[in-house]
Amino acid sequence: MTIKECYEKIGADYAEAIARMMKDERIAKFAGMFLRDTSFTELKAAMETENYDEAFRMAHTLKGVSQNLSFTALYGPVQEITEALREKGRDIDLAKSLLPGVEAEYERTVAGIHEFLQNQ
Amino acid sequence: MEKRMILIADDAEINREMLKFIFEEQYDIVEAENGQQAIEILDAKAQDFSMLFLDFIMPEKSGIDVLEHMVSNGYSDFLPVIMITGEATPEFEVKAYELGASDIIYKPFDPMVVMRRTMNIMELYEHRIDIERKLEKRTLELIESKEKLEKSNEFLINALSSVVEFRSMESGDHIKRVKTFTGIILGYVRKFYPEYKLTKEQVALITQASALHDLGKIAIMDSILLKPGKLTRDEFEEMKKHTIYGCEILENFKQEENEFYRYCYDICRYHHERYDGKGYPDGLAGENIPIWAQVVSIVDVYDALVSKRVYKDPYDVNEAVRMIHDGECGVFSDKIMDCFDLAKEELFAITQREFIEDEE
Repeated sequence: MTIKECYEKIGADYAEAIARMMKDERIAKFAGMFLRDTSFTELKAAMETENYDEAFRMAHTLKGVSQNLSFTALYGPVQEITEALREKGRDIDLAKSLLPGVEAEYERTVAGIHEFLQNQ
Repeated sequence: MEKRMILIADDAEINREMLKFIFEEQYDIVEAENGQQAIEILDAKAQDFSMLFLDFIMPEKSGIDVLEHMVSNGYSDFLPVIMITGEATPEFEVKAYELGASDIIYKPFDPMVVMRRTMNIMELYEHRIDIERKLEKRTLELIESKEKLEKSNEFLINALSSVVEFRSMESGDHIKRVKTFTGIILGYVRKFYPEYKLTKEQVALITQASALHDLGKIAIMDSILLKPGKLTRDEFEEMKKHTIYGCEILENFKQEENEFYRYCYDICRYHHERYDGKGYPDGLAGENIPIWAQVVSIVDVYDALVSKRVYKDPYDVNEAVRMIHDGECGVFSDKIMDCFDLAKEELFAITQREFIEDEE
């Protein structure tokens, strides 16, 4: 499996990623690091403990990371939940309703990267 | 040259890594996971960094907090900051620019663009810092050479004026004391009589110029200059001409525009004028006598009274002050008398100290 195939599978924008990062190995390296990124788990935990400032920061971090990795499919719901959690105009009910969608995309992304790493 | 350093402050490891891979071949990279860490690293060694990449939203302290810390600690003067952000939020951006950020780069960023913009900003900063250093060095050099020049000037004036004293067979301290006293009294004039508009620099120049007040005595023949007894009327008339002779010497080196020349000239010529117009050589009266000449007049009189001369013993300081007050040495303005009274204790202390030194 190539990183390009992996990107296609998880709904990420390979063309944009390669334009910026130039090399497949580099994209693969950064994608691999995504598995270590804790912002999603921390976002989920903060939502459960109702610490919405922290939830906002974590959503925001996850958003930045998805942008940098061109994880377009993940970026969509993450962007929405970030806005729902932003202090100015915070909508907790909306954020709560968006979380499962974020989680689904997150799991799909992580699963895809795992699959790539196992089938190189 | 040492490898320069870049600080990356972002809470997401991936984001830090993506910046790191752009720069790690040319720079040493230091990472901070939040604003607080970034502040601690800056406090320890802000000077070592050539660039700071700063995320807006981080745990502990935000990017804005870091910028504020940098401004209040002066780091912003030398360390450029590029903000990294995922979205355009105008209020944050305006704030960041206000706090001295050089640029804002949006995620996802193109490494080549980041590289180019970073290089440009670093070059700009280095260039500016380099210019500032050069300017600072040049300013220091100028100050140094000005000080050297002032020192050699003072040396030459002292040497020149001591020639006169040497010929008069005086101790050599009269001129030193005249300078010191002139400086003290001018200080009071400056403080209490602002109408004379004396500046600190003027006081310094006038004090130097006062050393030359008796320059013209070099042209007085020995039989008069060194005569122990009372001078005849003709002899005294000749003696009075030292004021004119001094000016004639100075005129050979006339510097029309130079204020120091003006002080030297006025002091040589008018330091025997009196406020009521009964002095010499021109019989100037009142404020027609330049303030610097008025000050040197009273100082010269006071020091002559308390010093031993070939023709007289020294007067006691209190007696000298009484004589000046009673007009036995001519009339001085009320303002000058006031400043003299304010200064007299200091003058006494110096007079006393020198006499004790003389006896030892």
